[in-house]
Amino acid sequence: MLYSIIASGLAVGAVYALIGITYNTMFATSRVMSFTAGQLGMLGGVLGSMFILRLGLPMVVGLLATLIVCALIGVLTEFVAVRPVLKSLEQHLYVLSTLAFALLIQQVTAIEWSTEPQPFPRLFGIGEGIWDEKYWLPVATCAVTIIGLEYLYRRTLIGRAFLAVAEDNFAARALGLPERNLRVASYALAAVVGGLAGFSGGELLLAFFANGPQLNFYGFIPVALGGLGNNRGAVIGGLALGLFQQSANFAVGGIFASVAVFVMFIIILLAAPQGLFGSGTARRV
Amino acid sequence: MHITRAKLTAFVPYMLILAVITILPMTGNDYRALIGTRAAIYWILIAGLNLIVGYAGQLAIGYVALFALGSYTASILAAGTVTPEIPPALALLAGAGVGAVFGVVVGLPALRLRTFYFAMSTLGFATIVTQVALGWQNVTGGGIGLSGPSLPAPFDTAWGLYWLCVGLAVVFTLITANVAASRFGRALIATRDAEVAAEACGISKPQLLVSVFLFAGAAAGLAGGLFASLQTYITPDAFTFDLSLLFFISVLIGGRGSILGPLLGTILLTLLPEIAAPLAAWSTFVYAGLLLLIVLAMPGGIAALLDRESRKALPSGRAIVPQHDALQELLGGKRLQQRLQMSGILLKFGELRAIDGLDLSVEPGEVHGLIGPNGSGKTTTLNVISGYYRPQEGSLTLGGETLPAAKPVKRAARGICRTFQTPRIIGEETALENVMIGGTLAGRASFVEALLALPRARADERQIKATAMGALRAVGLDSLADIRADRLQHSELRFLEIARALMLHPRLLLLDEPAAGLSVQEILRLGALIKAISREGVAVLLVEHHADLIFDVCDRVTVLNLGRVLAHGTPAEIRVHKEVVSAYLGA
Amino acid sequence: MLITRRTLGLGAVAATSTIALSRPGLAANEPLRIGWLASLTGASSAPAIGFNRGVVFATDAINAAGGVKGRKIEIITRDTQGDPTKAVNATQELISQAKVDAIWGPTNSGESLATTAVMARSKMPNIHPCVVDSLIDTKKYPNAFRIAPANGQWDDAVRNYALKVIKVKKVAVIGDTTGYGVTAAKASAEAFKKDGAEVVYVANIDATQPDMTPDMLRARAAGAEAIILWSVSTGMIARLLNTRGTMGWNVPFVGHPSLSSGEIGSLVAAKENWANVFAIGYKSCSFDANGKLPARSAEFVSRLKGKVDLADTLLWWVAGGYDAVNLIAKAVEVTGSSSGEAIIGYWNTLKPYPGVFGDYTFSADQHNGYPTDEVVMSAANSAKDGSFALAPGYA
Repeated sequence: MLYSIIASGLAVGAVYALIGITYNTMFATSRVMSFTAGQLGMLGGVLGSMFILRLGLPMVVGLLATLIVCALIGVLTEFVAVRPVLKSLEQHLYVLSTLAFALLIQQVTAIEWSTEPQPFPRLFGIGEGIWDEKYWLPVATCAVTIIGLEYLYRRTLIGRAFLAVAEDNFAARALGLPERNLRVASYALAAVVGGLAGFSGGELLLAFFANGPQLNFYGFIPVALGGLGNNRGAVIGGLALGLFQQSANFAVGGIFASVAVFVMFIIILLAAPQGLFGSGTARRV
Repeated sequence: MHITRAKLTAFVPYMLILAVITILPMTGNDYRALIGTRAAIYWILIAGLNLIVGYAGQLAIGYVALFALGSYTASILAAGTVTPEIPPALALLAGAGVGAVFGVVVGLPALRLRTFYFAMSTLGFATIVTQVALGWQNVTGGGIGLSGPSLPAPFDTAWGLYWLCVGLAVVFTLITANVAASRFGRALIATRDAEVAAEACGISKPQLLVSVFLFAGAAAGLAGGLFASLQTYITPDAFTFDLSLLFFISVLIGGRGSILGPLLGTILLTLLPEIAAPLAAWSTFVYAGLLLLIVLAMPGGIAALLDRESRKALPSGRAIVPQHDALQELLGGKRLQQRLQMSGILLKFGELRAIDGLDLSVEPGEVHGLIGPNGSGKTTTLNVISGYYRPQEGSLTLGGETLPAAKPVKRAARGICRTFQTPRIIGEETALENVMIGGTLAGRASFVEALLALPRARADERQIKATAMGALRAVGLDSLADIRADRLQHSELRFLEIARALMLHPRLLLLDEPAAGLSVQEILRLGALIKAISREGVAVLLVEHHADLIFDVCDRVTVLNLGRVLAHGTPAEIRVHKEVVSAYLGA
Repeated sequence: MLITRRTLGLGAVAATSTIALSRPGLAANEPLRIGWLASLTGASSAPAIGFNRGVVFATDAINAAGGVKGRKIEIITRDTQGDPTKAVNATQELISQAKVDAIWGPTNSGESLATTAVMARSKMPNIHPCVVDSLIDTKKYPNAFRIAPANGQWDDAVRNYALKVIKVKKVAVIGDTTGYGVTAAKASAEAFKKDGAEVVYVANIDATQPDMTPDMLRARAAGAEAIILWSVSTGMIARLLNTRGTMGWNVPFVGHPSLSSGEIGSLVAAKENWANVFAIGYKSCSFDANGKLPARSAEFVSRLKGKVDLADTLLWWVAGGYDAVNLIAKAVEVTGSSSGEAIIGYWNTLKPYPGVFGDYTFSADQHNGYPTDEVVMSAANSAKDGSFALAPGYA
């Protein structure tokens, strides 16, 4: 029983962590917490199921198609919901614009796809019991993603440009970096990560239109725990959340599990307001 | 003259809303009563929430938690299943009470958590409340829920309830407008946009926020109880995340620091889904699309759209002309004259000795210059005096009494005021309102008196405003009193900060590079102003790079280097001090 | 046009725009307006989507035949998304603004609890299929009629089947964490205890929980001989069935109609996982050993052929939606009036009204119209065009 809690805990935790990275990636270049993060996770599952099961595409093609559509939606998010409100960032209007955009995505999915959970294809057919692919696939994807991102940020020019923009927007622009294009690219990248989260977790979470808000919620917690913008922190926070949530499900049952999760979350935040791995407070005066 | 006309036009939208409220019942359409009542109930909550989101800038997105608490409290008490049956009116009040208490519980993390983190903690509370309502079946009815309180006549009909809720909504509009226009409202905005300056003016954020959280919680609880009456029946699934966002978004759409904007936002958001409803399955899609359009069309919120004043041209070729008589009037009269004494102050950041055994005194009535190269510890010294840093060693006294370390908010009450290297100004407020922030401590009336605009609160306002006008005259900005601060020039902001600092009749005034960015003419006037201030018995500590200004106005000068005193003396002595000349003054 | 999920949205748009254009008219030609409170896009909207097909089909059929005494039927649909607040707004709008003659729906209990009192205040004739017992009360809500079984009837059928047909003594009762799931599981567990059965395990599981192994292991450890399930979440049901398959524990599942939802067929990992599962069903929508539906239903299905897609929904939903529209139409036709009193008065005399879904019997003091003996258990995995084979043990 313990193993099954660990397996499912790590699996959902990995999905939450990936959504957390999605938040972080969008935040880094725009300072916007976008409500579309969870919807991208939802779309990863729905599109994967649509391409592979409904349209019968081979797995690799289906995955590529899913990620491409997600990336396009990411770019669209930047154009429609982020760029127009960047000027009034102080007013937090992005909450409204990204939320409205997320709602559009969700409603279209509900009507055009289904309001009931739909099956997600079994991708490899490897493993059973607690070693079933539905458990290890998200964890593996999360590991690959974080390694890929580290490589991107540390070893490639565009990755360093991302970091520069994330560090200091104005300075980066002064240096002649194409700050706007980089932002668009980061939204596409974030969307791909979100799509991967949904795709790899598809067998676990199914292709269900209502997964979006759920993932939005639980994907934010790793961000808060790990510290805003800290991807490694998000991974640790995500896995911890997954394990805690599944243990709580087991220990106190479904109704009070989410109460336990949120009580824990609030307590941890109050103890470590910048997240467990966040940087200290900025200089005020 | 144009001010009064502007005030009149400001009332027009309210008059229109009132007209609609009065005409609506004549249609006799119960659906309109329902939507009107719903908007009124939402507004009662949002009016309170507006102070938190729109004024204090806290992202409280989970207010449905308090709404649900009020709803359940009122319903449970009125039903009498757990306690003896309680009259509905009292049950509603009890709901407000529970809302107020939990308003503080939900809100307190704001003192520790920033923006998103606080936002998520409020959402966490919202989840907890609905889950508990679901699980605690014996009391809340679990998934089956329970009946809302049924109010006695004449409020038991659709229009009766409408009038009750609309009446309360009007009351809440008035009292939140009272708060907004009081020193508390300005202080909230100050903590939002210029937190450090607010602290320097003696505004205690925890105290202020607790009052506002109590009030907003009570409003949310009351709204929740009325909602239960309107719905006739409540279940946990009525308190959705969407509803919580509606509350929050209404304030965003409305715009910050406005009452009318969020009010219109509430009406808009209550009506939009109804307009989209005939599209059935596509209605929510259309609703979301309209929301997006609204943001794209008016990124500044409704309030920015309504604000015509700020688009008028400012007089060109204006000059800052401090008025000496106004200064005397402001600072004249008896005051405590106290001496600042720093001895052996040591402040380390890790291994770095930012201030290394500093001795410094500033006498009342003198201007004391503090100069030195970049990184020599000038601003750090000001920050120690104003309580931002806790020195590891040394003593700090004013008038012989020790100043507690690391308590910036306590400084204003001791008569220590300051300006900042980059002016900390609230751009969205007028120059006058910015200066009035400095007078927050001068108010006597409590938060409740301000809510109800009782005589003492009104007297406070008159007095603070008069003082602020005096301060503006003293620094020479009185002609710009009604102009939004973000439209002023940089040099004007420097004088504005001085005016704000003068509001508290300081015993010690700390000026951090006030001449930076000023023209030669303006520096001369600044110098005269600083001198005049000190001659009223104020001790002035001036950090400055402009050597001319220093030597013109200072009575004594201390030169810092690497956190230590390099030289000390009259300007004449410093001017010829060898080390200073070679190390700092150059040529 | 084949009525499917995909055409639903556009159909509704088209329908409402024609309504808007055709509103004014002479009293005699006034259309008969029926309000339809459907949760079309919320979570668990499958029933409303199914009902909606029946509603559209019935309306088209009646209108094509010239309407009700020359009056066309106009359906005014509102998507409530499972949100009680939206449902209350929509109800009042239908009553005061659209001035409908009767209302069908809402389709879930949470909404219905909130709208029932609103409709009662305006004495609006209302038919709904929601199961919560307290929704029907002829004193408080003389205007509300139920054309589906009450929760008690469901409960009885499930208990009977578990205790008398498959003869188990120890049961595990599982619900989801929605309001319905919590309440239904609690009521069911109490009723089992009252009947002398041993309830060895009671749990409410979050429907989004990805792995149900711990719960199933506990149920088995407690010695459960049958799992009684109350949830509308097909995802959760499929996960439970898959877990049962992996554990190699062939315990029977008995419970909510959703156990037989077509979605589950595609969600279970293997076809066998769906065997030995018994869902609440209805005689009218069940086929016998020869694969034949009752005559009335068979005739209905043949009329639906090519017009309404039954593959991804349940026949009883379509039949219920069809019956609801016809009950209203019939009342107006017989009494010649579309006033609330006339419609309610007519319904109060029905004994019985032969619908497709069942024979409805109403009187002034009994508004639970659905016959108890129609409620049966069916083999969950036997769906064919939205109807089911009777569970073993029923003749």
